[in-house]
Amino acid sequence: MKRKSRAGSDEPPAELSTGDRGQCTTHLAMGEGRLRAEEVRLAYDDHVIIDSLSLSIPDGKITVIVGPNACGKSTLLRALARLLRPTTGTVILDGEQIHRLPTKEVARRLGLLPQTPIAPEGILVVDLVARGRTPHQKLFQQWSESDERAVHAALDATSTMDLADRQVDELSGGQRQRVWIAMTLAQETDLLLLDEPTTFLDIAHQIDVLDLCEQLNHEQQRTVVLVLHDLNLACRYADHIVAMRDGVIVAAGPPAEVITAENVRDVFGLDCVVIDDPVSHTPLVVPIGSRHEAPNLAPRQMDVGEPHA
Amino acid sequence: MTLLTDAPPIDRAVVTDTPPPARLPIRGRVFRTRFFSVRVDPRALAVCGILTALITVFGCWAISVGDFPIPISEVIKTLLGSPTEDSEFIIGTLRLPRVLVAIGVGAAFGMSGAIFQALVRNPLGSPDLIGFNSGAALGAVVMIVYVGGSSTQVAMGAIGGGFVAAILVFLLAWKRGVKAYRLVLVGIGCGFAIEAAIDFLITRAKITDVQRAAVWMTGSLNGRSWDQVRLVAFGLLVLGPLAVLMQRWLDRLDLGDDAAAALGLNVSRAKLGLVIVGVALAALGVAAAGPIVFVAFVAGPIARRLVHSPSACIVPAAFVGALVVVVADLAARRVIAPTELPVGIMTAIIGAPYLLWLLMRQARTGAL
Repeated sequence: MKRKSRAGSDEPPAELSTGDRGQCTTHLAMGEGRLRAEEVRLAYDDHVIIDSLSLSIPDGKITVIVGPNACGKSTLLRALARLLRPTTGTVILDGEQIHRLPTKEVARRLGLLPQTPIAPEGILVVDLVARGRTPHQKLFQQWSESDERAVHAALDATSTMDLADRQVDELSGGQRQRVWIAMTLAQETDLLLLDEPTTFLDIAHQIDVLDLCEQLNHEQQRTVVLVLHDLNLACRYADHIVAMRDGVIVAAGPPAEVITAENVRDVFGLDCVVIDDPVSHTPLVVPIGSRHEAPNLAPRQMDVGEPHA
Repeated sequence: MTLLTDAPPIDRAVVTDTPPPARLPIRGRVFRTRFFSVRVDPRALAVCGILTALITVFGCWAISVGDFPIPISEVIKTLLGSPTEDSEFIIGTLRLPRVLVAIGVGAAFGMSGAIFQALVRNPLGSPDLIGFNSGAALGAVVMIVYVGGSSTQVAMGAIGGGFVAAILVFLLAWKRGVKAYRLVLVGIGCGFAIEAAIDFLITRAKITDVQRAAVWMTGSLNGRSWDQVRLVAFGLLVLGPLAVLMQRWLDRLDLGDDAAAALGLNVSRAKLGLVIVGVALAALGVAAAGPIVFVAFVAGPIARRLVHSPSACIVPAAFVGALVVVVADLAARRVIAPTELPVGIMTAIIGAPYLLWLLMRQARTGAL
C-alpha cells in the first residue's frame, strides 16, 4: 500500500524526500518561479479580497497555502490560474503576463482543479478524464493518439484504470477526487493547482490524495500548489508553506519555519503547542482549546534546513 | 509502491512514444488519420437515423390525410417529382410547406431548449418557460397590430422581442452571475408580464388583427407557405451549424465555470455565444409558427434519454423537436376533424403533465 510506505520515516524514500526538502528550501529565492504574482489586487466587484500581494511558486516543489476560512486562498489560486483578473498588478507565467496569453495556451501549461467541479450525470470515468484533453484538441483533432496516451498515463498515475468504465456518480469520495486529479493530469501541465483537494474526504483518503500529489511531484517533477485546511498534513507534504490571513501573506517558507505557535496564533487566532511529528519530523500542531491549559513543554527542537537523520 | 530511489523520473516524452497497452473504453467511435481524428457516437447516429425515418413516415402521413385524402403512394410519387394535377396543388402549395415548417420549427425549438437547459443546468430553464418565447410573441404581435405585418416584419419583430426578453430576464436575474433558480423564477415572472402586455395590445387592436394574432399566439401551422419554409430553412442554415459547433463549449461548461476556464475555455464569451444562438433559434421558431409551448422543454430531456448521454445533445434534440411538432400537428388536425386545433394545444397536452412531474420531482429532491 502506498499509504504505508510514506508513513515510515526510517524508510529510504521518506528519508530521501525529507533530506531533499531540507536542501531545496534553503536556496529557495523569491521571484524566481515560473508562476508568480506581483503586487496583485484581487476583488469581486467592489469587494477587495487581496490587496498588493506578491508570491512566487517555487518550481518543482509542493507549495501549500494555508489560512483561515475566507482569507483569500482560493481567490489567490483562481488568480494564479487566470480565472480571476487582478484589478492591479499581474500574474506572471513563464515571464509573460498571464492575461496576455490565450486561455487555451495557459491551459496547456497550468492545470487547476477547482474546489467543487461538477461531474455531468452518468458520465464514465474515462470520459471525464478525457475532458482534460480539451486544451489540446481542435475541431478536427478530437481524439488523437497523444490524447489517448495522456489519458492512459493519467489513469495509471492515479490508479484509476480499474475504474475507467465506471460511472463517476457511483464512486466513493476518495475515488472521485482521484478521478478529478486524473482529469487535471490529462492536461499534461507541469504546474498543478489543486483547490482543497482533501475537503470532504476521510483521513485515509486525504492521505491517499496527498501521497498522490507527492508522487506526481517526485516522479514527474511537477510543480504542485495545494490549498489545504489541515496544518499537520500541510507541514508533512509541503516543501513550501504560505500562511495567509485577511488577504495578506503572514509567513512563507519551509514548514518548520512557518508553522510555529506564534504564527498559528497570528494566522488562525488559535493557541497551540507545536511539537515534532514523530513520523515525518515536521511540525505537529496541537491545539489547546478553552478546557485545557498549555502544558509545560520544552521548546520544540528542530533544525531548520538540516536533513533529519 | 516501488521505492522512489528505484523509480527514475518518468520522462513524459518517452511515455508518449510508446503505444498504449489497451484501448480505453471511451464513449463513441474514433476515426483517425494522420492529420485529423473525429469521435462520433454511434448511438447518437442511430437515434438520429430512427428519428429521421419516423419524421418521414409521419410527414407523409400528415400530407396524405385531410379534407381531400391523397393515398400514400401518390404522396410519395409527388414528392419524388411526378405529381398529378390535384396532388401538385394540395401537396405542393398546402400540405408540404406546412410539414416542412413543422420540421424546421421543431428542430429550432429543440436545439434552443437543449442549449438553455444545459446552460441553466435545469430542464426548467427552457426558453418557452422562462419568457423568451413570450417575448418573441410580443414582438410579433406588436408588428401585426401596429405595422401591418408581412411575414418578414413579423419574423423581425419576433427575433427582436426574443432578444429584448432575454436581456430583460438576464438583467433581472443577475446577481454576481446567474443562478438557475433565479433565472427560472424571474423568467416565469417576466413571461407573465409579457403575456399581460400582449393581452393589453390585443384589446386595443382592430378585430381583424386580433383574429390573426390570436390564432398565431397559440402556435399554429395553419396556412404556412413557402415564405415561412424559406425563413426557417435560411435561419437553420445559419444557426444550426453554430449550435452544433457550440456543443464543444457546452461539454466543458458542464463541469462548472471554473473547471471549464481551467480547461482553456473563455467562459463568458462561450456563454454569451450560446445565449445568442439559443435565443435566435427560439425566436426563429416563434417567427415561423408562433410560440408553440413545451417543444423546447421536452426535446432536450427526451434526446438525452434516447442517446443515453451525459452531455447535452443538441443535434438529437433537433430531431426530437421536429418529430414532436410533426406528430403534434398531425394530431391537432385529426383529433376532432374537420376542425383543426392549433398545434400549440397538442404540445401543451403532451408537455404539461411532464412539467408537473418535473416540478414535483425537483421540489422533492431540492434541485430547484
